[in-house]
Amino acid sequence: MPPEFYTLLEEIQANDFVIVELNLFLDTHPDDFEAIKQFNAHAQKSMKLKVEFEKKFGPLMNFGYSYSNYPFNWVDTPWPWQV
Amino acid sequence: MYTQYKYWRPYISPNDPCPPIEIKSYSTPPHLYIGFQPSGLPQFQTAKEALKKGTLWPQLYSPYPNPQKRNERS
Repeated sequence: MPPEFYTLLEEIQANDFVIVELNLFLDTHPDDFEAIKQFNAHAQKSMKLKVEFEKKFGPLMNFGYSYSNYPFNWVDTPWPWQV
Repeated sequence: MYTQYKYWRPYISPNDPCPPIEIKSYSTPPHLYIGFQPSGLPQFQTAKEALKKGTLWPQLYSPYPNPQKRNERS
């Protein structure tokens, strides 16, 4: 796959990691407004990155969490463990 | 002063068949000492760095290396 596939995927991974960290933080600090703003900013960025990734390299998730191209290329490699 | 590892000397019995380990160590990551995390702690600059370090806040970072690879002072 082109190198951009891996750089974009890593960027999504890093972004989602920050979201997970903030989510766990917000579990115990529900009224921390700064963290909520950062969480929403990263969530929005994550959606944007995923749309961009799916336009280029096909669906990230199946079962309706991602749109599908024609033909249905969910079955194409690389699978997540092959990345 | 906060340290990431604590060391101690286990008792070595004369009947011990295996070669003794004079000094053993255990990891003490910072979250043990923080208790309830305050809001507004400084964060890592980039998401990639946070991902590499495994946490969003430098104060909570701990290397967690393999005990064998640590410079075990045997």
